[in-house]
Amino acid sequence: MAELSDELEVAVWQGDRAGGAMRIYSVPQRPSQTVLDVVTWIQRNVEPGLSYRFACRVGMCGSCAMMVNGQPRWACRTHIKAALAGNHLELRPLRNLPVIKDLACDMSEFFHKWQQAEGRFYPTADRHEPVAKISPASPRRAAANKGIECINCAACYAACDVVAWNPGYLGPAALNRAWTLLNDVRDGAQKRRQRAVLQNNGCQNCHSMQGCASFCPVALNPTAAIAGLKRTALRAIRQGQV
Amino acid sequence: MVQRCDTDILILGAGGAGLFAALHAHKTAPELSITIAVKGLLGKCGCTRMVQGGYNVALGRGDSVERHFMDTIEGGKWLPHQDMAWTLCATAITRIQQLENELGCFFDRHPDGSLHQKAFAGQSFDRTVHKGDLTGIEIINRLMEQVMALPVRCLEEHRALALIPNRAGDALAGVLLLDVRTGSFRFVRAKAVLLATGGGPTMYRFHTPSGDKAMDGLAMALAFGLPLRDMEMVQFHPTGLLAGMDTRMTGTVLEEGLRGAGGYLLNGDGHRFMFDYDAGGERATRDIVSRAMYAEIRAGRTSPNGGVFISMGHLGADNVRNQFKGMVKRCADCGFDLAAGRVEVVPTAHYLMGGVVCAADTTTEVPGLFVAGEDAGGAHGANRLGGNGVANSTVFGGIAGDVMAEFVEREGVLRDPDKARIDHEIDRTRHPFTQTLGNINALREQLMTTMWEDVGVMRDASGIGRAARRMSELKTELMHTGLANSDPIFNLTWHDWLNLRSLIQVSEVIIAAALSRENSRGAHFREDFSAPGELLSSYFTVARQGERDGVQLYHKPVQFNIVRPGQSLTSEGHTISNAVEGLT
Repeated sequence: MAELSDELEVAVWQGDRAGGAMRIYSVPQRPSQTVLDVVTWIQRNVEPGLSYRFACRVGMCGSCAMMVNGQPRWACRTHIKAALAGNHLELRPLRNLPVIKDLACDMSEFFHKWQQAEGRFYPTADRHEPVAKISPASPRRAAANKGIECINCAACYAACDVVAWNPGYLGPAALNRAWTLLNDVRDGAQKRRQRAVLQNNGCQNCHSMQGCASFCPVALNPTAAIAGLKRTALRAIRQGQV
Repeated sequence: MVQRCDTDILILGAGGAGLFAALHAHKTAPELSITIAVKGLLGKCGCTRMVQGGYNVALGRGDSVERHFMDTIEGGKWLPHQDMAWTLCATAITRIQQLENELGCFFDRHPDGSLHQKAFAGQSFDRTVHKGDLTGIEIINRLMEQVMALPVRCLEEHRALALIPNRAGDALAGVLLLDVRTGSFRFVRAKAVLLATGGGPTMYRFHTPSGDKAMDGLAMALAFGLPLRDMEMVQFHPTGLLAGMDTRMTGTVLEEGLRGAGGYLLNGDGHRFMFDYDAGGERATRDIVSRAMYAEIRAGRTSPNGGVFISMGHLGADNVRNQFKGMVKRCADCGFDLAAGRVEVVPTAHYLMGGVVCAADTTTEVPGLFVAGEDAGGAHGANRLGGNGVANSTVFGGIAGDVMAEFVEREGVLRDPDKARIDHEIDRTRHPFTQTLGNINALREQLMTTMWEDVGVMRDASGIGRAARRMSELKTELMHTGLANSDPIFNLTWHDWLNLRSLIQVSEVIIAAALSRENSRGAHFREDFSAPGELLSSYFTVARQGERDGVQLYHKPVQFNIVRPGQSLTSEGHTISNAVEGLT
């Protein structure tokens, strides 16, 4: 039981848009303990004013992502053993998004870009018609399925150096969604979407550095999706469709 | 000090019900202004996203609305509001087609491209549409994309505090909100208000819902004088992860399919106990398995953290890893080996069947106030079928949107609020800042222990009575427990206090309803009254908050206006599947 008496040294950034600083806490280590549990322990026991965001607790809502020892991760599904450097944890708000307070960021820009990339379905049928017959093994559906399990946690967006350099860049999550839709045979706005992803801040900005793919907690590969967008866009331009 | 704004339609909550309401209201009457207020982020907090199992809908050849309806009625032990249950089953068909064709959801297919519908416990037909075991994510992601494109004002991280009447006190004027990010108050006047904040019985020691859930909607409804029904009906899921009291992982669901696939439940002595209780063993229904587990736990035959074990290794670790990828990974992230080892589990509070009394068109007894989703009571009666939860929120959310838009166009008016009431509610909300520092979390722990031990899986009069006394003490203690931090900005500890206030208020109603039902139906099991009672004279409980604080409780007979006990709407009668797979 020696392990139980070990203390974690946890540095937590606290502040707001005007600035902030790291504060250090000593947190008792437990056998079952996630980063979210560490943050919760600090809030409940020593720093009642600490702000953070979470909802589902099990990696379904994507509300709790933060920088954990420099990497974007879900707090709720990261066991401390997978993140500790020695006995040290350093927690900061997600990179590339404006902070609201402490560990909670404003995600509105992230979702605004999702819309700018035409990351929503445009119907060609309505509720009175039967569901379309589409083979799950058909190449386009298979391509869409590869990227569909994104829960918009913004870990990829925080990992992306291009977003850091060019804050206008649509980013990996929005473009990944656009790619899944470009492969959706039921969608009725493909030309519009292709124009959207080809805008100045669109897919051509990606340098294929794979930050998004390396840190996606559900192991999606937005880099590959963006490569798909580039290929499709080039073809469309050559054929004069865009 | 209080910011004010006006809107035609105010929607509280942004899960399946709230978002569908916004879509439908906008489509029905595009010129109306719509405001959504949500405690967390749009589509991210709440429980629709957490749906694993799927969506029940009678689409298959040989299935029918009548069959789905009969399964819902029998699953609900003849307590469901029959018009609501019928509306649920009948509308689910257009709603699933809408989700696919208009919102872009893509549910699992057969190899030939047709929709796949799986077997689910308690149903006579394979009718559960799903997207792997992450159905809720697909539904809510597609919904939020559509709603974010609408000209809808969205007040994210705004907590609803109270329904505010007009000056005369005879109608609803609007809703008082607290902006989590700034700590300031906002009053929204509205011609129509939808209560769609979601339920979530998080007052139990072990619970599955999202951590933001605190029954705020029901607490507001009670305070406004609205009746709640079926409040004793709290559904427990048998296999909640148990990882100690210090982790938020505890209580979260390990999917039902683990039992369906042949997983063993072992007590602390390593004995496979389910066959001591039921011939169905681990594959028995949720309520039976939960009670057996609880009996083992109470007898002291527990795992180290006070639960039992689920063991899958005999099915072949690689096979388990393959078949239950998501669950194995989730357990591994928490430090457990589900594929080859034993994982501790415990029954966990999952869903509240009870809610605000309403009609099948989502209207309540207050004109201009509508209710949908888990805040509404009646559709599920004494037990909800897996797969009927997300069907319920999306079906009735959409109906609410249509009905509210028509209501506003026909008779909607903005009313001036009772200012004294707003001031009173602000004082009530700021109360903890006037009290000395106390341990809010310790009170929460006591609430959860009380509800789990005395009003949980199995109940009797003495336990329920004990809980009633403890609850009134907790209420007093809460009012003397203050906040250490005086900064109201994004102050989670303030919200913990407010959550606790809602949870205690609603727990008192659960306690009163559980005491008054002296029989055992569905999710409600009384050890001192274990018989189900006469089906033909079935009643449901109705509770109101009395003028002077106490809960008033009475019984109303179930209206068998579509089908009576002993009858069936299906000619071939009924065979209900024992398949146990996934859950909603």
